Amino acid sequence: MPKHGRFFAGLVGVGLVVTYLIWTGVSETMVYYLTPTELYARVVDDPTFHDVGVKVGGRVVPGTYERAVDVHRFVVHDVEDEAVTFTVEYAGDLPDTFTDSPEMVVDAVIEGRFRDDGVFEAMTVLTKCGSRYEATPEGLAAG
Amino acid sequence: MNILGELALWIALPVAIWGTVLAFVAGARQRGDLQLSAERSIYAVFFLTALASLGIIDSFLNDRFEYLYVASYSNRELQTYYKFAGLWSGQRGSLLFWLLFLMLFSTIAVWSNRRRNREFMPYVVGVLGSIASFFLIVLLFADVNPYERLGFTPANGQGLNPQLQNYWMTIHPPTLYLGFTAFTVPFAFAIAALLSGRLDSRWITLTRRWTLLSWFFLSNGIVFGMRWAYEELGWGGYWFWDPVENASLLPWLSATAFLHSVQIQENRGMLKVWNMSLVILTFLLTIFATFLTRSGLIESVHSFAQELRIAYIFLGFMSAIIAVGVVLVLWRLPRLRSENQIESFFSRESAFLFNNLILLGVLFAVWWGTMLPLLSEGLTGEKITVGPPFFNAVNIPIGLALLALTGIGPVIAWRRASKRNLKKNFTLPVLAGLAAAATLWVAGARHGMALATFAIAAFVMSVIVIEFFKGTRARAHIEQERWPRAFVHLIGRNRRRWGGYIVHAGVVVMFAGFAGEAFKSELRQTLDPGEVATVPSPIGHTYTLTYEGMSTTLAGANPIENVAWQVEALLRVEKEGRPAGTLTTARRALVAQEDVPTTEVDFRSSFLEDLYVILSDVADLRGALANEPEAQTVTFTFLVNPLVGWIWYGGMIVALGGLIAMWPGAPAGRARVPEPAALPARAPATAVTAS
Repeated sequence: MPKHGRFFAGLVGVGLVVTYLIWTGVSETMVYYLTPTELYARVVDDPTFHDVGVKVGGRVVPGTYERAVDVHRFVVHDVEDEAVTFTVEYAGDLPDTFTDSPEMVVDAVIEGRFRDDGVFEAMTVLTKCGSRYEATPEGLAAG
Repeated sequence: MNILGELALWIALPVAIWGTVLAFVAGARQRGDLQLSAERSIYAVFFLTALASLGIIDSFLNDRFEYLYVASYSNRELQTYYKFAGLWSGQRGSLLFWLLFLMLFSTIAVWSNRRRNREFMPYVVGVLGSIASFFLIVLLFADVNPYERLGFTPANGQGLNPQLQNYWMTIHPPTLYLGFTAFTVPFAFAIAALLSGRLDSRWITLTRRWTLLSWFFLSNGIVFGMRWAYEELGWGGYWFWDPVENASLLPWLSATAFLHSVQIQENRGMLKVWNMSLVILTFLLTIFATFLTRSGLIESVHSFAQELRIAYIFLGFMSAIIAVGVVLVLWRLPRLRSENQIESFFSRESAFLFNNLILLGVLFAVWWGTMLPLLSEGLTGEKITVGPPFFNAVNIPIGLALLALTGIGPVIAWRRASKRNLKKNFTLPVLAGLAAAATLWVAGARHGMALATFAIAAFVMSVIVIEFFKGTRARAHIEQERWPRAFVHLIGRNRRRWGGYIVHAGVVVMFAGFAGEAFKSELRQTLDPGEVATVPSPIGHTYTLTYEGMSTTLAGANPIENVAWQVEALLRVEKEGRPAGTLTTARRALVAQEDVPTTEVDFRSSFLEDLYVILSDVADLRGALANEPEAQTVTFTFLVNPLVGWIWYGGMIVALGGLIAMWPGAPAGRARVPEPAALPARAPATAVTAS
């Protein structure tokens, strides 16, 4: 029946449009989310990865924060391997929860570009004070 | 009090399981005596859960830091109302809080049906009892017991995250949880309909108000969350497509779809399987949202824990819901046949179906974007994420189509719209939409999506205004009433319909507010005292902000709330050279949480735009706190957010419409009385009696 044909064409059309939007949306805006260790492995395999936007989750190394004119600089390490580190440079406003205090464990999710010179140029920095708000008995005993 | 509360949880579990078993046996054997006992177990579990919740609140108020949960989310300095809110500030308490609301609604549902609808009630009680049992098992056995003891008593607690110390903390989470839990009742009735075999529209009619109630709280909860983000998070926005925000949006989307599609079943006896699926899906998503919010499965600014054990338990529960739902629907499939068929592409059924499809499209896109890190890691081993650009790219076009349907659906005829019907109803609104776009174009607006939004918004608003106008005119004429009186009576006669239109109007206003974001302007500037920033507004005028200087507060000297230290920058605002008040933005930290400062923003709202200031950076915080004159240099971010206020106005209109639609006392089923002629002649008797 033609009227049903039209109806189902409409349904399929909506489905296709949604699929198309999701498909193009993902492929145009997706970002790899890596650990520092994975990031190093990636750039060794494929040096062009220096030009790709990536998101990295790491932990702020206490006492490494310094600020130059208009740029914040700090070091993060891999959450599971403290030996894997790199410097982050960030020109925006750091979130309130950012600190390099040795008393705090601050996990940072940084998004940006891992430059050839080994410095991570961040476009956004999100932080979460891991230990403080998800208290462990040990943390409470120490505090 | 706390011992009692802890004990109450342990007693509640066997009572809930016992009641569940009794209820299902009562349903299968038609045993009224067992059923009575099962219903009492629901009341008992409510009472016990309330005791357990009171015990937690009491522990917070009395600084009982020997409990891990209290020690993690409170400290001595915390203000009393945030201690009270301790019940929902973390994962452990939130799960208990969820159960408390679930049992509150279960009790109301069971009590109000103690003499009615007895064919459903055994299964309703059984479903409610199963869900209560699940949450009790989680609380007691998944390492999330809020009564877990530390084994020693710390001198002070860790305190509540300062960003959560905002008055919305006491409002937003409870509202959202009310929305999540209220939907359990329609779900329970749907399952009861499947089990009992009474598959006409009765369960829908019975739970209509529950669905509206849930939807009302969800909508408000989401808007409250946006407002909270706008006031507190300090980046000038209200929605970040954060996993937890998305999680709260998902059940709202499917509940909205359900609210619309049930009308097709009530009027035309169609879409029975679809409605069953939607009610199950929505309930599933409320559980999913609770799970995502409180499991830390996906990184988010809101998440609290990372334990995997609870993740598996929740995944198991959600799988069970899906399995039970699918099996029951398949079992009853022969009796869920549609009584009618779609007759025309141009009909209200069709418009509602497209509305549903598009809502589910948005739902799927949001779900996909939220889950992508997990899905991609599971499938390819690589974590891939998407952010706001993805959600905007996908959802703005789909959202606009949905907005357009908001205008089309309510006035297009059932079954088959004639050319005349289309022409009569849509000529003026289409012209209004085109006129709105043309006016804005002439005024200099060039953002395509924003122009489309305003055009569609004007179209929908015209449809709604014309409907109200026609309805009022007809009533004033027939009843010989004055217009204001006729208007009020019109709404009162069919509150569900007119309340729904008011909700639509609110949504239109909100969409216009969203579109305003396309024109926002931002300026970042470093100033010394006495210096001036000039901020142009997209609407054409200019703000001049003079940095007057900084004031500092230290604990003890001038204690405001429980602030440890604060630097506050004062800005004098002029709009087009005329004084327009002052704005203050601060950086501060709370006592016992000195190392977690927060930024306090300020904004000046007007009808068309907000001027929003953020204290982005204090060059020398230590010097500023010591009041050193050369340490007063501050970097500000100035934002002009056009139409952002319309989001809050729109939210209020939506809430008003929701209240009108669900206010008790409206004669049930009156909704469609004016349209009996539209009912198909071959509709079976059940559909007619049910409506």
